[in-house]
Amino acid sequence: METADLSHHISRRFNEDLERVRSKVLGMGGFVEQQLQKAITALVEGDSTLGESVALDDHQVNNMEVAIDEDCSKILATRAPAASDLRVIVAIIKTITDLERIGDEGEKIGYIASRLATMERPADKYREIKHLGRVVSEMVHDALDAFARMDVESALRVARQDRLVDEEYEAIQRQSITFMMEDPRTIRRALDVMWVVRALERIGDHAKNISEYVIYMVHGKDIRHTSLDDVERELRGGAVTPAEPPPTSA
Amino acid sequence: MQPATQAWWLAAGRLLGTVLIGSGVGWLVGRPWEGLACALTLHLAWVLVNLFRLEWWLRHRNFADPPDVGGVWGEIIAQVVRLHRRKRFHKQRFVQLMRQLQRSTAALPDGVVILNAQREIVWFNRMAARLLNLRRTGDLGMRIENLLREPEFVRYLAGSDYSMPVVIRPMNGEDVYLSLQVVPYGDGQLLLLVSDVSRQMRLEAVRRDFVANASHELRSPLTVISGYLETLGGDPALEPDLKAPLAEMRRQAARMTSIIRDLIELSRLEETNETVVGEPLDIAALTSLLRKDVLARTVHPRDVRVRIDSTARLVGSESEITSAFSNLVDNAAKYTGAEGSLEMRWWVDDEGGHFAVSDTGIGIPPEHLPRLTERFYRVDPGRSRATGGSGLGLAIVKHVLQRHGGTLEVVSRLGEGSTFTCHFPPARILSSTRAISVATA
Repeated sequence: METADLSHHISRRFNEDLERVRSKVLGMGGFVEQQLQKAITALVEGDSTLGESVALDDHQVNNMEVAIDEDCSKILATRAPAASDLRVIVAIIKTITDLERIGDEGEKIGYIASRLATMERPADKYREIKHLGRVVSEMVHDALDAFARMDVESALRVARQDRLVDEEYEAIQRQSITFMMEDPRTIRRALDVMWVVRALERIGDHAKNISEYVIYMVHGKDIRHTSLDDVERELRGGAVTPAEPPPTSA
Repeated sequence: MQPATQAWWLAAGRLLGTVLIGSGVGWLVGRPWEGLACALTLHLAWVLVNLFRLEWWLRHRNFADPPDVGGVWGEIIAQVVRLHRRKRFHKQRFVQLMRQLQRSTAALPDGVVILNAQREIVWFNRMAARLLNLRRTGDLGMRIENLLREPEFVRYLAGSDYSMPVVIRPMNGEDVYLSLQVVPYGDGQLLLLVSDVSRQMRLEAVRRDFVANASHELRSPLTVISGYLETLGGDPALEPDLKAPLAEMRRQAARMTSIIRDLIELSRLEETNETVVGEPLDIAALTSLLRKDVLARTVHPRDVRVRIDSTARLVGSESEITSAFSNLVDNAAKYTGAEGSLEMRWWVDDEGGHFAVSDTGIGIPPEHLPRLTERFYRVDPGRSRATGGSGLGLAIVKHVLQRHGGTLEVVSRLGEGSTFTCHFPPARILSSTRAISVATA
């Protein structure tokens, strides 16, 4: 089994370039994490200014994506990396796309939060959203940690957590439908809440994608559209059989 | 004679004896050269045997006793034993010291991380591992900003000003606040100190909320009281001996209103610690307004001057800057009296923009200067209550300046007057020449 060992390069400059890009990706990840956290806080605490600031800051995420993309192209063009280095670059290019999407979903939540702040808050004070938000934030955090540490075990754990998010999503959906039937006046708010929950669920999917890239980066195995049990068996020495894609990864 | 020297003499004597005996015996049998050669060979063999024993012992010195030989060889072995013992003693002392050091850093209530010049983790203690979620194995050699991705910290680390710690809220934690301080040392190495400040932050938040809520709650009853006092004061049927107490009540109510207004403003400033962006402000227009305010006071300094040395604009929040400057000018006017003079000055140099308010008032004793910007701090309690200040003016000035990246400097001489200067960083200054070049570009 071959591991992506970044420390054995003939060219030290190349190594440094690669490390710098990786740090940039993680810096972007840190910013996106914070945006997500702020957006959830804005929603749960009904802070419209915070929600607006999240929506306004999203352009920074886009700028970071463009800058990292450019760096990657430059490395591809000038260094022509092969094997594990190439995989690192490919994984980075894919990761930043997912991070950018997480940023977009965060922007959406921030925007809805600033709108919901003006409305009456439900009795449970969005407890479910708070909980789901924490699970999803943790997934993003752990996926980025796995990326930083090249840690396949943690990456697999993150990928597994996606199922929990899907269940939670279903539960909140059912609950919202009950609320809407009980009191039609809450429909508008419930629809907004559904948007937020949907966005969180999507963020969970993106976090799962990032953790899959980590596995790809380290093992050179593309595990997308493969059931996790097969992946685990494969990583412990077995054969991967393509399986039904999970219903949520649209 | 020293034993070593003695041993050498002995060795030399022994060699001489061997040579003499060898050649003597050889001479007796009629072959002196062969006798000498035989004696020398024997001597050499003896030396070789000793060398072998020495070497063997050096190789196995950890468990074998030193060979029991006398003379020069014994001296050499004694020296080696001594060196060896001394080395072992030092080594043990170092190991002990290291162990103690490690134990004490592990027991530290704060986290400590050592970073090299590339910001890679070299070492960290147990508390740091707990607070920052670092792993004992595998995280050594990682770049710290890859694991600690909070944008505030990344910015702090990339900068060069480590004089103040940075407070972050880790993404994975519940309601945890960590204070991180970088201390550079040695050859580009950094010491990162981590402490959990959640308790302080929570207390601070409780205090802030309390002040904000209390001031808001106090405002409405006070408005009612002030309203009735106003009506009563204008009542012509009021008994004459109630007039003076009523006027005093109205004055005090007005003072309370101003205190509450300042408290609300302060808590608003405190709520968001982030620096403001703001818009370019025309200082000349602002100061001329302030001058009018001073001249509108019933008692005002005879001489109120405005000196604008630069047309450069200050980038900041208009309401906040106006509030800060007017607080300074108000203070100066209040403590100067009708005979003194007051000067406002705005100038720009390489260090940034400066706004100074000088007066020829009563001045401030030097021991009070460091605490001047504290809330409700009074230099002379009796006097300042009489003038009706809220005691929060300079605290507001300090906060506004902080939010604009500026600092407040106070120079004062008792009986001669004071100068309050606001310093703004160059980034806050929009010079008119630059503005023109931008316009023509």
